[in-house]
Formats: sequence, C-alpha cells, structure tokens
Amino acid sequence: MLDKKITWILPLFLIAKLLGGELAIGSSIPMADVKMQDISDKEISLNEAMGEKGLLVIFSCNTCPWVHAWEDRYITLAENYVPKGIGMIAVNSNEAFREKGDGIDEMKVRAKDYGYSFYYTLDEGSRLANVFGATRTPHIFLFNKERKLVYRGAIDDNAGKPKKVKKPYLMNAMDEMLAGREAAVTSTKALGCSIKFDK
Amino acid sequence: MGKIYQFPLLLLLSGLIGIAGGCSPTVETNQVDADFILKTVSTHTGSEGVLVNFWATWCEPCVEEFPMIVELSREYASQGLVVYFVSVDWLEEQAKVLTFLKEHGVTGLSFIKDQDSNEFIDAISEQWTGAIPFTIVFGKSTGNVVDLWEGKESKERFVSAIKKSIYESMGGS
Repeated sequence: MLDKKITWILPLFLIAKLLGGELAIGSSIPMADVKMQDISDKEISLNEAMGEKGLLVIFSCNTCPWVHAWEDRYITLAENYVPKGIGMIAVNSNEAFREKGDGIDEMKVRAKDYGYSFYYTLDEGSRLANVFGATRTPHIFLFNKERKLVYRGAIDDNAGKPKKVKKPYLMNAMDEMLAGREAAVTSTKALGCSIKFDK
Repeated sequence: MGKIYQFPLLLLLSGLIGIAGGCSPTVETNQVDADFILKTVSTHTGSEGVLVNFWATWCEPCVEEFPMIVELSREYASQGLVVYFVSVDWLEEQAKVLTFLKEHGVTGLSFIKDQDSNEFIDAISEQWTGAIPFTIVFGKSTGNVVDLWEGKESKERFVSAIKKSIYESMGGS
C-alpha cells in the first residue's frame, strides 16, 4: 500500500521541486488521497477533509508566533465557513521540529487548548508542503468545489491586531467563492515562519 | 528610534553614525518601508556590496544565524561589504529589537519594517514568499541582486554570496 502511494507521490513531488514556487491558481488539489495522521488519531486525506463547497488548507504549526497571532482567525473561520460547506484542515509540515514542539502529541494539546474544531494533521516528510510549494506558516490555499485552487497566501493584513484588519483577503475569497464569483484578489503574501523541512 | 519619512535624512544619519561594522559603537533602528531600504542599498552601488538580512527576535533560525552574519559583516567590511539587518518584529517590539542588536554587537543603521506585508515582500523581491529568515545580496559594481534565499543557511553559503557581491558582481535576478 505504502509503495503504491510513493510511486505516484514522487513524480508530483519532483515536478513541484523542478517548477518551484507555490501551486498555481487553477491547479487541482495535489496529493488529495494521501492519508495523514490527524489529532483525532484517524488517518485523514485532503479528499476526506473536502466540504461540498470547497476546502481550506492552512499550513500551520505549534511553534510560530505568526501562527499564534493569527490563530484566533482560524477559530472564527471554522465557525463561520465550515457550516457553509467549506472543509478546513490545518497541516503541520515542520518535520525538523517534531522533537521541538511540533510532534503529534503537542499538536493534540494545542488543538485542545485553543479550541480547534477542524482537522489538524501531521505532514510526514513535509511531502504536502513540498508539492504545494508552501514555505511558511501560516500559508493558505483555498480550493473551490471543483477542487481548483482559487486563492493562496495570507489570511489578512494584520496578524497582531484583528480589530485593525483592513484587508480580510481570505474571508473575501471565501465569500466570493460561495457566491460563485472569482476572487478579486487570488494571491497575496505575508510574513511567516519558514517551514522547518528536514534537510 | 523614530520613523524615517525623508530619504535624505538617511544619508545624514549614515554619515553621522556609520553603518554596520563601521566605526560607531552605537546602533540605530528606524521604521521604514521597502522603498527606503532599496534606496539605501542603491547608495552603495559602485562602492560596496550589500547584504540585507530580514529577521525577527522570535524567529529561532534567524537568531541562530545572526551572530555568524555579524561576524561576516566585520570580516568583510574592509573588502567592501555592508550589512543591513531588517527586523520584521511588531513595531511595539522595537525596544526589544534594539536590545538584541546591542547584545549582538551590531552598530550603525538598522531597520524595522513599517509597511503592509503584502506590499513590502513583493517590493523587496518577487522571489521572496515571506518566510524568514530571508537574505538578499546586491553586487558592488552593479547594485543588482547576486543571490537570495529563504531560511537559515551555512556560513559557506553566505561567504559564497558575499564574494559574488564584492568580487564578481555577476548581476542577474
């Protein structure tokens, strides 16, 4: 079973590495069937996390202050958009930090302490991060019901002060997607902690 | 510690207090945008190569490689290298940034980001995704980018980029 997974994962991984950069807008969900360990102790794939209206993938972790600053918005997004049919999953790709706060046990504790109501999975070997071209935490990828990427980048323009957000990029993209429109802004950037790939 | 609005003021400041690795024992942090940083870099074209390192006090890999960069800034200063540190800490943390810089022996002019991140990142380099640490190196003779990378890197990688900057000035990206 594992061998079968690896045989088709490797070409995708290599293609992403060769092309470099983030997943292009309009791309299908990569590695959608690959199972990851969730904090629930179940094995979850992106296909299983998919909602009927779309899927929000957040590359996240336990140990990044930028994540901590934006984390309240994770909760709000889950409360407001999961009921509307958008599946939500946070993915921890910090392979080099598994012994430094980003192991599955610590992920379970963080999810409980901060009230995660969504999947939070461990990306073994940072394979998902590699194929998405994710480089930092948090790093957002939003897919529509056709499983095509419609938005990538930042949650909003103010990590530290949620009340002072002027540009709620992700929320706008989700609203536009639910309304059947193309996002006015499809790609943004934000500062974040580099994903800790195992070198 | 204030915000700089007028670029010519930088030249005055540079003249008064020197730059990283220079003669002044003091350090200055200024709140600036990307345009200001790039204009500052351009003032060195034809005379010095420039390495700019984007970091934060809370960023573990940034803090780990920081002393090595300070050491290299001193080692290569006489060969025409200037190093600027740009903190992306919250502005409220400016005092903490200044303390960190002093503790690590940084002298001269240093910066702290004061701009919308989405605009700031692309203005510095379209190849920067926003992950830190981020290092970008400009050639001495052309002022062009000769190397850039995200994440913590080895001393060898830094030295290679510095030599490109001050000796080869390959230009490019």
